[in-house]
Amino acid sequence: MKKVIFASGAVLMLATGAAQAQEKTLTISVYALAQDEYKQIIYDPFEKVCGCKLVVETGNSVERIAKMEANKANPVVDMAVVSMADALAASRAGLIDKVDTSKLSNFDKLYDIAKDPNKDGMSVGYTFYATSIAYRSDKMKIESWADLLKPEYASHIAWPNVTTNQGPPALYMLGQALGKDTPDLKAAIAAVGEKKDEIVTFYEKSSQLVQLMQQEEIWAAPIGRFTWAPFTKLGMPIAWATPKEGQTGGMNVMVVTKGSKNRDLALQFMDFWLSADVQTKVAEKMIDSPANKEVKLSEAAANNLTYGEETAKSLKLIPSAVALDNRAGWIKSWNEAVGQ
Amino acid sequence: MFQNRAEALALALPAALFAAAVFLVPVVILLSDGFRSSAGGWTISAYTDFFSNSLNQTVFLRTLKLGALVTVVSAVIGYAAAFAIVSLEPGAKGRMTGLVVLPLMISPVARTYAWIVILGRTGIVNQAFQALGITEVPLRILFSETAIFIGLLQLFLPLMIISLISALENMPKDAIPAARVLGANWFQVFWKVVLPLTKEGLVIGGTLVFTGCLTAYITPAILGGSKVLMLETLLYQQVSVSNNFVSASVIAFILIVMSFAANILLKRVATARNKMRSRP
Repeated sequence: MKKVIFASGAVLMLATGAAQAQEKTLTISVYALAQDEYKQIIYDPFEKVCGCKLVVETGNSVERIAKMEANKANPVVDMAVVSMADALAASRAGLIDKVDTSKLSNFDKLYDIAKDPNKDGMSVGYTFYATSIAYRSDKMKIESWADLLKPEYASHIAWPNVTTNQGPPALYMLGQALGKDTPDLKAAIAAVGEKKDEIVTFYEKSSQLVQLMQQEEIWAAPIGRFTWAPFTKLGMPIAWATPKEGQTGGMNVMVVTKGSKNRDLALQFMDFWLSADVQTKVAEKMIDSPANKEVKLSEAAANNLTYGEETAKSLKLIPSAVALDNRAGWIKSWNEAVGQ
Repeated sequence: MFQNRAEALALALPAALFAAAVFLVPVVILLSDGFRSSAGGWTISAYTDFFSNSLNQTVFLRTLKLGALVTVVSAVIGYAAAFAIVSLEPGAKGRMTGLVVLPLMISPVARTYAWIVILGRTGIVNQAFQALGITEVPLRILFSETAIFIGLLQLFLPLMIISLISALENMPKDAIPAARVLGANWFQVFWKVVLPLTKEGLVIGGTLVFTGCLTAYITPAILGGSKVLMLETLLYQQVSVSNNFVSASVIAFILIVMSFAANILLKRVATARNKMRSRP
């Protein structure tokens, strides 16, 4: 009898499995970057594992969240990857659900910082990056974020515009260095504003910095670690600062859509993406720093990415709620103090 | 040419429908956003808000100033260059015109990046200045209005020169000698003969250059950056960063109005001179 039940159960599973294989579709929403590599490392292998079809929607996070909001009643997307702050925004807008981490076998292997970045159970970090200062070690000494604004240095630095991903974190650390770290970043913005005529530029594209560094137009700039590699190839004495206030940065997270009909499949996909194997492959392509602490990287990848327990622990990220509630205010005070 | 108006209209219809569907309607929708109040009615508060902000005032005036300056300077240089080119032999004329057009075939991104190299602290301009003893410490030219001015002038000067070349070529060949024979000096020749006869070219060139300056994005973005915002870079910032589509549509509307205003103004100037000329 047991055998019969087992056999019929197996047949049933196979049958539903086969039926699902034809119907199962997982729709994901991701940043438009490195899609060829993602397809090769994540999407195609996952389709084989799950026997399902993966539909990938890409775009910047503003567009993608707007789309999720428009389809709120009848969600199209099952899971999305967004920034930490955008995850909180999506959560506040009621677009996402709690992530059932008991279904993620790789959850315990994540660095603590990535486990529940917004402390609300609504997201899981899959990659993060450090933001610190790249500087000419032969021309200057950087021990604090405030050193950048020293009179002898200010006319040789580029500062990230407040509108870039690096802008607010850099101001956040400057505020800490000045001992005035209020969420409105007023003190830091005012300090930068005082030096606005001296500061070479307020950059918007980090790709521009390599040229400015090469031309000796600038000696230093706060940058994200993911843009570090080209600086090391300039053949100049350029160092990565470890200021006494620490490094800052950002994190991208995975979220599951509220009302998704493919919740389990979405979790299976997230688990796959968080596995040491996939995270290693993505990291070795220098795309995303691993959030899985079991990942072991080659020296080249480790040097270009944000990697390791110590680094992960030292990152002081802006809390998402602070970012969300203050973003508009930051831009306003920035435009008043710096923009003109 | 056509049997009746209906036939002509029928032929124009597909193009008109296309333009209406992909241009007019979206533009009207976009611009109407700037006049919507949150309650659903109509209001101009987005405009009063925009102009009451001191950053926006600065950016607006800077855009107007740089656009006008580039247009005037390109007209002055453009007339000189166009005169020189028109007076050449046909073969040389073709080659020179080709040279003028050549920069238009190079990506504005590449051209603008070249300016970063040229205008930088270790760039050729500063090296020359230092060698000549004009300055001891390298000048900061990049990320200033000067840099944007230079970049925009280089970008749009060809449009002015080409417009003026075709205008000068259409001018009667003996107009200048006739004026000279009648005792006009070179300034009078230019002001009373050449300018009125080439005003069409000047209006076209001027409109192209001015609207080009208003709507150029790459040059002010790279050479000015967020330190020296222009309306176009501010527009981009409002859309892509602040997600403020109302403010963006206000800027878009202002840009369109400025373009039309420039065109009307230039035409006015031209017709005003016309009237003066035809006065008995």
